[in-house]
Amino acid sequence: MSDNKVLKIKDITVEFDGFCALNKVNVNVERNTIHFFIGPNGAGKTTLLDIICAKTKPTSGACFFFRKTGGEVKLTGMREYKIVGEGIGRKFQVPSVFVNLTVMENMMLSLKGNKGVLESILYRMTAEEEKSINKILETVDLLDQKNEKAGSLAHGQKQWLEIAMQLVQKPEIIMLDEPAAGMGKPETFKTGEILKKIKRDCTVIVVEHDMDFVKQIADRVTVLHEGKVLVEGSCLEVLADETVQAVYLGRGGERNAEN
Amino acid sequence: MKLKKQGYNLCFSAIVLVLAAMPLLLRAGVITSTSFILFLGKCIAFSIVAIGLDLIWGYTGILSLGHGLYFALGGYAMAMYLKLQATGGKITSFMQTGGMTELPAIWKPFLSAPVSLFLIIAVPGALAGVIGYFIFKNRVKGVYFSIISQALTWAAYSLFTGLQSYTGGNVGITEITSVLGSIKGAANMGKMSVLFYISLTILVIIYSLSYALINTKFGKLLIAIRDGENRTYFSGYCVSRYKNFIYILSAVFAAVAGALFVNFNGSITPAQMTISYSITMVIWVAVGGRGTLIGAVIGAFLINLCDYHFSSGEMVEIWQYILGAIFVVTILFFKGGLVGIVCDQIPSLWKKNPESGVVVNE
Amino acid sequence: MAQFINTAFNALSLSSIILLTSLGLAITFGLMRVINMSHGEFLMIGAYMTYVVQEIFVKFFPESIFSLYYFVALIAAFGVTFILGAVMEKFVISRLYGREIDSLLATWGISIILQQAARTIFGMQGVNVQVPAVLNGGITIGKCTFSYNRLFILMLVVFCMVLVWYIMYRSNFGKQMRAVMQNRAMAQCMGINSRKVDMITFAFGSGLAGLAGCSVALLGSIDSTVGQSYIVNSFIAVVLGGVGRLAGTVFGSGIIGFSSIGIENYTSASIAKAVVLLIIIIVLQFRPQGLFTMKSRSLDE
Repeated sequence: MSDNKVLKIKDITVEFDGFCALNKVNVNVERNTIHFFIGPNGAGKTTLLDIICAKTKPTSGACFFFRKTGGEVKLTGMREYKIVGEGIGRKFQVPSVFVNLTVMENMMLSLKGNKGVLESILYRMTAEEEKSINKILETVDLLDQKNEKAGSLAHGQKQWLEIAMQLVQKPEIIMLDEPAAGMGKPETFKTGEILKKIKRDCTVIVVEHDMDFVKQIADRVTVLHEGKVLVEGSCLEVLADETVQAVYLGRGGERNAEN
Repeated sequence: MKLKKQGYNLCFSAIVLVLAAMPLLLRAGVITSTSFILFLGKCIAFSIVAIGLDLIWGYTGILSLGHGLYFALGGYAMAMYLKLQATGGKITSFMQTGGMTELPAIWKPFLSAPVSLFLIIAVPGALAGVIGYFIFKNRVKGVYFSIISQALTWAAYSLFTGLQSYTGGNVGITEITSVLGSIKGAANMGKMSVLFYISLTILVIIYSLSYALINTKFGKLLIAIRDGENRTYFSGYCVSRYKNFIYILSAVFAAVAGALFVNFNGSITPAQMTISYSITMVIWVAVGGRGTLIGAVIGAFLINLCDYHFSSGEMVEIWQYILGAIFVVTILFFKGGLVGIVCDQIPSLWKKNPESGVVVNE
Repeated sequence: MAQFINTAFNALSLSSIILLTSLGLAITFGLMRVINMSHGEFLMIGAYMTYVVQEIFVKFFPESIFSLYYFVALIAAFGVTFILGAVMEKFVISRLYGREIDSLLATWGISIILQQAARTIFGMQGVNVQVPAVLNGGITIGKCTFSYNRLFILMLVVFCMVLVWYIMYRSNFGKQMRAVMQNRAMAQCMGINSRKVDMITFAFGSGLAGLAGCSVALLGSIDSTVGQSYIVNSFIAVVLGGVGRLAGTVFGSGIIGFSSIGIENYTSASIAKAVVLLIIIIVLQFRPQGLFTMKSRSLDE
């Protein structure tokens, strides 16, 4: 089982001004799974993603990434763009696309490779790359908006675009922070189906409140509470757990599930 | 979109053609003042620096309040060469006043024309590279960058005025001719025309270069950095390297502009290195229209033409009020400058579509 | 020893002047996030107000009370710049919240206008104010002389500091002010008139620049560019101390003041100025958020 690990989060502690956002968190993520982090607000879910992609530095502890080709990489202490280069992509909670560029240009910038200054000046898109972009845009229903500015898209479409931008990178790990926020039921369901499809090639880490979404696709769920891991297990195990019901589901779960 | 870009290029071509006709008109006697052509030569230099500023501000979102520094460095390098040409390689009067008996070491490279030419570009470029490397690597951004660039310029200005025997202090380097010799007066009309066309060619080259650059993936990345710097990092780009590259490029443009300016102006003073001079350059870009190359060119010509006409006579005081007011109003209401008004705001009035009225989104 | 005390006093004096010019900025820039490039021109207006009040006293009042002019000037300078600041906030700044760089550029346009206005009214030549008799001379202790006007500026700084501190941290208005600056929307929901708070806060910051102008008038001749020579140091002092921290601004000013005077001992004033700025720029590379900020979540973005 441990052979198939893709990410190891070891003893991560984060403090802001004395406030402990994460406290000795240990989690392993398996390759080709959809791994959910859930928990009440302020549990430290987003902070955990921040740690993995080096947006925030941990007070102590470290994250390790295991390449598909073999080899272990210590993510903590690396610059974020290098982590992306390793194949760890992230979608943020607030949709962040480049509003003054077209959908196509947004996708082009997200393609793997050619990230150096000179390379980017000399770069020309190949037909193959264009085909793969078109294919992904088609899956997320944005093909018709290809030449529109990303800023003119609706909120939900921006979410899609950002997910598409992650997909086109062909990452090994894709991290999604509340991908279903601002989407309706059918769209959320569709997102779930797409994620199921892509987990064949990569690992998906999701932070989400929508419990239906969790039930639909989760392989493994980690519940965070006040900066600590409360329970970890399969979706059913977690839902059945009494402490989880007490601190999370019983209180805010239902309301959140109605989103 | 395509149409608009073609429009911009057509507009630039028109400006170039009009400028190219000027020396001919002078020869034909339609224009009588040779100093007007000299002034237009300076405007060409100004529009080159404006293009550089537009690349880092309009496209990349980095507001430098210190481009006067690079402009002046290019200018000083040129002037040092020209001064030594004028004195025949001997030491200058301000060095003698400073108690020197022979040429200081930093002046010696400027005895040679090719070395001077190289230094005009290399010194400002290297300085921008070092400054940019640290500032961008440490993620100093937004207004902090602006304030630091301003302080740097102030520091450089203090140094240049302080090191009087090396730089000529407050007076600067004066009494020099152009690289082609004297270009003042009717007798030297030929030389002046040649210099003018050389400058115009450089402008065309720099415009074309910039135009090509902004249409590559690199250009799109600049806009990406402006819209979401962090997102660009998380798309796997080392943003600081991109920023540094464009910063160096725009510094080099400024230096080239400074060198051309000296040829037409016949002197360089620390006044070109001040903060207010640097911000004036930003005004050109803002009024013309940030984020379009043509905007920078138009802004530089327009503001300077007004300046030229109003800076003598009874308008001189009122012009300063107008200039300030234009600037405030542009920033408050017309973020896209003149180009934005013509290309976005007027068409949107026709369509009666209030949504497309916003020129540049935050 | 006397040499050392004299140097230290000069440094303290320079620091106090920088602090006085930075205090207003610490409020408008540090709290409101408005980069007011015309802050220097408000300072200039304060200085010219001192001159105007002096001229009025010379013309209309008996010579016996001439010395009082300076204290009237302090009030006038604060008042005029306060009102100007309020007007400017209403018509320009209020449209620029959240647009830091644009606020920098728009206020630069205003500073062009104000400088020209000063030239139109007072001419190109600098004017001088007469230091009031009370402030002439100084105390001599041993071999050290402490001039009264520099001591006075020190006292004025302390007074302003206490005033700012009291208004911000002890008064009801200060509470509203900090609430609005931290979360404008929330403060409005709590029933705070945020428009009014913004205006008064900005006006207060401008008024402090006016007071600073009054003290600058004691030190040398006043012309339309007098503000420009202070503005760079003031901005750097605020940034160095950490934007949004009053105590930081005090330290920032102190560091600039003491290092300037310290380095001036070895070289000329203009080179010292350059060296100090370069050192500070290098320091800011390592602490881009300033020296006196704490690690907190809000600084992430």
